[in-house]
Amino acid sequence: MSEYREESDALDTDIQQIIHAWHHHGTTLSDRDFNQLALRLFAYQLRYSQPYAQYCTLFGITPRALPTRWEQIPAVPTDVFKDVPVATFDPSHCALAFETSGTTQGRGGVHYMETPVLYDAALLSGFDRFVLPDGAQLRYLNVVPNPAMRKQSSLGHMMAAVAAHRGDGHTGWYIENDALLTHAFIEDLSAAIEERLAVCIAGTAFGLLNLLDTFEQKHLRFDLPPGSRIMETGGFKGRTRTVARAAFYGKLMQRFGISSNAIVAEYGMTELTSQYYDSIESRATQQRIKIGPPWMQTRIVDATGKDVPDEIVGALVHFDLANRSSAIAVSTEDLGARLGDGFVLLGREEGAKLRGCSIDAEDLRRA
Amino acid sequence: MLELPAGHIVRAIADAAQRWSDADFPPRVRVTDAIVQRTGYSMPVVEYALDRLFFELTSDALKDAIATELGSLGALDGFVTRRGKPDGFARGLDRVCIISSRTTIGVGLVPAIFALCAKCDVTVKDREDSLIAAFFETLREEDDAFASAARARAWRGTEETVDLEPFAAVVAFGKDATLAQIRATCSPDARFFGFGSRASAGYVTRGALGDSGRVAGISAGAARDLVLYDSEGCLSLHMLFVEVGDGKQTEHFLRSLASATQEATLEFPVGVRDPVDAARVANFRAVAAFRAAGGQGAVYSDDACSFVLVYDPPKDEAPAFAPRTLGIIPVHEPSEAIRYLQRHVIRLEAFALSDARPDLVNAAISVGAVRLAPFGELQRLPISGDHGGRPRIADFIRWIDKEI
Repeated sequence: MSEYREESDALDTDIQQIIHAWHHHGTTLSDRDFNQLALRLFAYQLRYSQPYAQYCTLFGITPRALPTRWEQIPAVPTDVFKDVPVATFDPSHCALAFETSGTTQGRGGVHYMETPVLYDAALLSGFDRFVLPDGAQLRYLNVVPNPAMRKQSSLGHMMAAVAAHRGDGHTGWYIENDALLTHAFIEDLSAAIEERLAVCIAGTAFGLLNLLDTFEQKHLRFDLPPGSRIMETGGFKGRTRTVARAAFYGKLMQRFGISSNAIVAEYGMTELTSQYYDSIESRATQQRIKIGPPWMQTRIVDATGKDVPDEIVGALVHFDLANRSSAIAVSTEDLGARLGDGFVLLGREEGAKLRGCSIDAEDLRRA
Repeated sequence: MLELPAGHIVRAIADAAQRWSDADFPPRVRVTDAIVQRTGYSMPVVEYALDRLFFELTSDALKDAIATELGSLGALDGFVTRRGKPDGFARGLDRVCIISSRTTIGVGLVPAIFALCAKCDVTVKDREDSLIAAFFETLREEDDAFASAARARAWRGTEETVDLEPFAAVVAFGKDATLAQIRATCSPDARFFGFGSRASAGYVTRGALGDSGRVAGISAGAARDLVLYDSEGCLSLHMLFVEVGDGKQTEHFLRSLASATQEATLEFPVGVRDPVDAARVANFRAVAAFRAAGGQGAVYSDDACSFVLVYDPPKDEAPAFAPRTLGIIPVHEPSEAIRYLQRHVIRLEAFALSDARPDLVNAAISVGAVRLAPFGELQRLPISGDHGGRPRIADFIRWIDKEI
């Protein structure tokens, strides 16, 4: 067995153990343990990912001059995934390749993963803990692309895995070739209501908003069976139409007859393996706090990369130990502010200040 | 206003502008603070903008601008003789509305002033800093006739609507969607002048790169064009094309530009950058640094990330349009610059050129530029110049020909 394989397998095993311990026993990770594994993983990635290693030299970091704290690990900007494969292995041998939607500039990126094991373990544990803490078995109505038709969608893969392991055996998919299958959704939802089967409607904010538009036009309103829930993700990033979150959730509650507690926002990105969710405690409040599993950490930084104080808005930098075969640290343009044990996520559209003369980047790019 | 001679109006405006040229003039002091609050620009940037705005509004400059377009100032007062044409009277339109949403400092003021010179009744939807309202107040102090002719009130964005039906001309600045909405509410007979999203570019020839005496000047000019107004103006330098030549000359230019940008940042410091912009700028730098580490291009910045220059960004990537960020794109000839601009469907306002080389000028014209300027002058549109390719006063008058 090669040295690379040995190291990779050892890391996968250790990371899986952490995921398993939290998933089944709620075991958290001490800062010391997180730091230790983060530095080990980073050193491994420096050895096997040349682009990442070259980038780190700009910060004076080399295999011989490694950081001592996870916070010092240079983060790879998400846009870099559009330029080069960020991988510790030959991407032509990947097990999973998820594509970003290329939100703002029409250039998509790819996150290559060497094994599906970590991704599937991370997604199931997060979903179980944050969306299904009651262990409910639900019918999944997915307003996301069907991975059978679009295997490069990480969201599709995630919901397929969830539905396969936690569903009732009848899963619906309502995005086909970027078209929303509204009629099929209404039919399936009505059937589930008729049978009093609790459902989980999972979709992007934009997709759900389009559904709501149809409901409004057709004066449709549903009363979801008890135990039903909605998992919303994606915000309105890269979309020309945005709706304030409170108004959006208000409409969801009104049209589906559910409470605020039954709406869970997932925050994930293609460049990460793990996901954040609204903390259970914050779902009834105006300010939802995102928390992640113990193998994820987030820094909130200013333009110079320094941490901003609590409750001050900055850019999010994520550290995901499950990103074993890509990059442990990923920097984003997403904004947030640290609050309590997590952070409040502010979409670009919510934080964007409208000002300027006659240049408007969105206008110029859209022209 | 109709009874006032145009010369009197021009003098009153010039006198008011002279008072506003004094940085200690109390209304200016108040408005300056408000502009800093609104825009987040640093005080030196705002002071510079106000100086630029009011220093230029001299009686001679206004008269020249009017005479250039109308033939004479007197044409605004009554019939004048015109060569090869019947006698003509440049009668101002009755009511003009200027909607200055999403503008940089005082952009709405200039058309308001020319509309007043045309003796129009002017209503301005002002920004929250009330710059135009405060200037109109000074105008009133110069002559009470302005009290009824020049009105300005704060603009509260899209939640506030205004009845545009009575206006004979509407000038609007803003996003394309906003302009379309505004246009739809104008009277069918009204003249509509929309100033939407535009960008500006620069082009440095290999000849200029090879002239060490010119490199410093071009660098200083380009740096100023970049940092002023945080790249938010349609006349800001948003992308720079540099002709490929001697590698050492290019590198020398890049170092010179980086150094000049650092100096310009000292003169015009970054103000309060909102988190969205801060994240975009930081991301722009980080991505470029990643590429540079891999051997593609180069990055020039400072510790505070107050500016970011990126040499040789991917050509399939549109400009960042983030504050004080600049992609420097190597090209072999102007046609490559044209292809870049067309590929990204960039609507161009101005082109800063290092040379008036004919092929370069033709290229700039072919991509829709309405202004060709030297580096350092990109953001200094002269009062006599055409903004957005439009005249200053001619849009606010109707010619009455007298053939009897």
